[in-house]
Parts: sequence; C-alpha cells; structure tokens
Amino acid sequence: MRALYTAATGMAAQELNVQVISNNIANMRTTGFKKQTAQFQDLIYDHVRRVGAQASDQGTILPVGVDIGGGVKTVGTPRLMTQGTLSPTGNDLDMAVRGEGFFKIQMPDGTFAYTRDGSFTTDNTGRIVTAGGNPVQPTITIPNGATSITVATNGQVSVTISGSTTPTVLGQIGLTRFINKAGLQPQGDNLFVETPASGTPQDGIATADGLGDIMQKTLEQANVEVVTEISDLISAQRAYEMNAKVVSAADQMLQSTANMFR
Amino acid sequence: MENALLVGLSRQVVLERQMDVVANNLANISTNGFKAERSMFQEFLNTGAHEDNFPRPDRRVSFVQDRATYHDLSTGSLQQTKNPLDIAIDGPGFLVVQTPQGERFTRDGSLKINAQGQLVNSSGFPVLGTGGPIVIQPTDKELSISPDGRVSVLEGTSIIDSLRGKLRVVSFDRPQTLMKQGGNLFAPTSDQGTPDIKSMLRQGYVEKSNVNSVLEMTRMIDVTRTYTQISAMLQQQSELRKAAIEKLGEVPA
Repeated sequence: MRALYTAATGMAAQELNVQVISNNIANMRTTGFKKQTAQFQDLIYDHVRRVGAQASDQGTILPVGVDIGGGVKTVGTPRLMTQGTLSPTGNDLDMAVRGEGFFKIQMPDGTFAYTRDGSFTTDNTGRIVTAGGNPVQPTITIPNGATSITVATNGQVSVTISGSTTPTVLGQIGLTRFINKAGLQPQGDNLFVETPASGTPQDGIATADGLGDIMQKTLEQANVEVVTEISDLISAQRAYEMNAKVVSAADQMLQSTANMFR
Repeated sequence: MENALLVGLSRQVVLERQMDVVANNLANISTNGFKAERSMFQEFLNTGAHEDNFPRPDRRVSFVQDRATYHDLSTGSLQQTKNPLDIAIDGPGFLVVQTPQGERFTRDGSLKINAQGQLVNSSGFPVLGTGGPIVIQPTDKELSISPDGRVSVLEGTSIIDSLRGKLRVVSFDRPQTLMKQGGNLFAPTSDQGTPDIKSMLRQGYVEKSNVNSVLEMTRMIDVTRTYTQISAMLQQQSELRKAAIEKLGEVPA
C-alpha cells in the first residue's frame, strides 16, 4: 500500500525538521548565529488519469485527473540571514556588523573563512584573533602598552600608546560579502566557507558598497526567536504523530485484507 | 454471481487510493504553498445485458470508480518569516518558474538568490519576471518586493531604490486543469494562464500548506473503518457461499 511509504516520507521530513529546530534552540545564545529552516517539496505524482487527456470519442477532455502523490522530500535547510539583535558589551575588541558583511578570518591552512561573530581577543603576539585563535583579516597587531583601542565604523583600528596623546592608526579591518550569503557552508565554530552557491567573495571595507558598519563594544546575538522555534517544534511533533497514525491506519487496512479469507 | 465480491472490491480499491491521497496531504503538511488533494468518486453501472422498459426495470449492478482528484486551492495560512526573500501571494496568482521542461507555476514563495544573482526557487530554477529572470547585483542591499511584484534594491551606497525587475504573477480561468508535478510545481495542460493583477505579494511571509489536519485525520479514520467493514462483508459473503456449497452439494445417502 502506497500510503505506508508516503507517510514514512512524512515522518522522515518531520524528524529532520525537529533536528533543525533543536539546533536553532541550542544556538540561541551563540554570537552571530543565523537560524535555519527546513524546507520541503512534494514528490513526483503518479498521474493515474491524466488531466487534459481525451475522455470520449466526442473529443471531450478530462477536466480533472487522478493524481496520486508520493509524499514529501526535504529540499534544503536555508539560513535566515537577517540581522541579529546588537547588544553592547563594553569590551574593546567586541565588534558587530550592522549590514551585509562578514569578517574575514585566516585559517591555519591558509584558506579563508567568514564569520558574523565579532567577539575577538588578542593572541600572544598581539594580533586580533577570533575566540578560536585565527587572525582577522587584514592582520592587525596591537602593540604592547596600548591603552585604549578604538574601532571606527569603517573598521579602522587606532590605539593610544601610553605616554602619547595622539592616537595611532594600526590598520583597517575589512569586510566581505557574498551575492548569496545563504549559500555559504557552515563549518562550526561560527565560521562559514565559500561554496559554488554563495558566489565569489567580494572584499571591501565597512561603510562602503553596502557592506555595513562595524560597531565596536557590541556583539550580534543569534537571530533565533524562541517563541517561533517552540511553536514550530510543537507543529513538527504533531505532524510526525499524524504521519505515524497514517502508517498504523494503512497497516490496519492491510491487516483486514490479510485476515479476510483464512 | 460474484457481484457482491466485485462491488466490494471496487470500493476497496478506491478507498486504498483515497488513503494514498490522505497520506500525501499529511506528509506535505509542512510544505510551503502545498495544495491539498481531494478524491472524487463516481458510480459505474454494469454495462451487461439489461432491459429497462419493464414497469420495474432491471436493477443494474453499481460499482464505484475514482473519477478524479482535484486541487483544494484555498489559501494556506501565512507565516511571518522576516526573510526579505520570502513572498506569499494574496490572491489566486502563481509565480512563474523556468524549468528545462518549460514554464511551471508555484505558490511556494520562498525565493533564493543563486551565485549568478538570479532570483530562483528552492530547486534553483529561475523565478521569472516580466522580462525574464530577475538579477540582483553583488553590491545590492535592502531588497524589497512591492505588493505588485516590483523588486527593488538599494544599490551600493545609494539611498535611492533601483528597480531590478517585476515578478510575473499569473492566474488561471481553470486552475483545476493544472497538473501537479512535484517540487511544489504545477504544469499547465490546456490553460496557459493570464497575467494576474488582482493578487498582491506580501514580502516577509510564506504561505504554508493548506492541509487541514483535523479534516484529514477524520477522513483517514473514515477510510480505515469503511475498508475494514467491507473486508468483513466480503468474509461473510464468502462464508455464505461456502455454506451454500456444503449444504446444496450434499449428496443424500
């Protein structure tokens, strides 16, 4: 009976839906996290009687057909790339992007990764690095004895050295954007990497080309809304249950046939 | 003589198919823009020899046949997503999707941008504007879609809207002739559609599936119970016949 397998595709889809929702909830306090949504499409149909086919010798055509669908498939788990809430932290090296851009990070193997998580620190050589220890591009080194660090909205980093009264400009943190940022591939640690779907990275500086502003002493919160996630979770759970009911109902029908002529 | 058996069987075949339809509806309860299917049945009279001119005409045996499934085209509930690339269609219209097989139609307004900057559906097929695919430039931001389908952006550092195209929305005089082909797409059969000006697009929303879960569950129970009852009836028929054969076939000693 087809209904059994159709309902099974429904159960598999809802299971994945719950996984995506639980990952969103688990990351509701992750800086710069972008929530995902599971998206589904119907599977191909079996056109038992094809609509528009000739129905009689008089040339009438079938105004409606018999289409039996085979269930559902997951088409993707795209990320919602909306701006998360900006919350002030008071920490000099916390930065948030208000706009489209990503911070560019150099990985140990020389490749680049991109992040919206701007909770930076300095490493043992004074470089501005991510929490994972990878330097922000272009690399900026804070000298010993720097008293106050200022990051302008365009990413320019300047410090005041003790004993001096004028600030020294050290460099400018760049931003990168992608034409299809939803096509970036997440690789954990709040990092994304380029894919054929995302398009090539376009490096630039903040405040220009729609890249957005850099806000110092601020972090971007996850764009997860707990109320939405919980209500989605409940719907997913109910949908799973209903598909399970279909499986048992179809089974009951088969059983009644099997028991018919003993 | 096998009438009761065959009539019952014709009903069971139909119920099984109706169950498939219910299962597909429920499986797609989270599918954006999904339209539920409904089953329709018709009576199918035995075409054998009959004479209807007597005062009490011959009773012809009536079977059941599934005639059609039709699309329930009611609007699904709208869910706010805050995603600027999500649009729900308020009205009877469909978006036009360019597939290798030709133009297809969809109510799934969850749009994406591909690496070439084209607006595409979730499967990666371009969603057409009035002048072909709509292309977004790499430096564009703040994409907005107006209720009549105009896609505009802020270009680079400019603060003035630039138009990138206008989404094509079409509606059908006979939407039942559309054929579902999976992937949230409808294929045209006889009705090619006309530009729709009544529908309004709502940015930041998606249209969810219009499957009514309570209705489907009720239908499922109805189908199961009816099917089981017919099985029982068929069993009784079979026992009746068995008894008849045993009794009538008894050779007197």
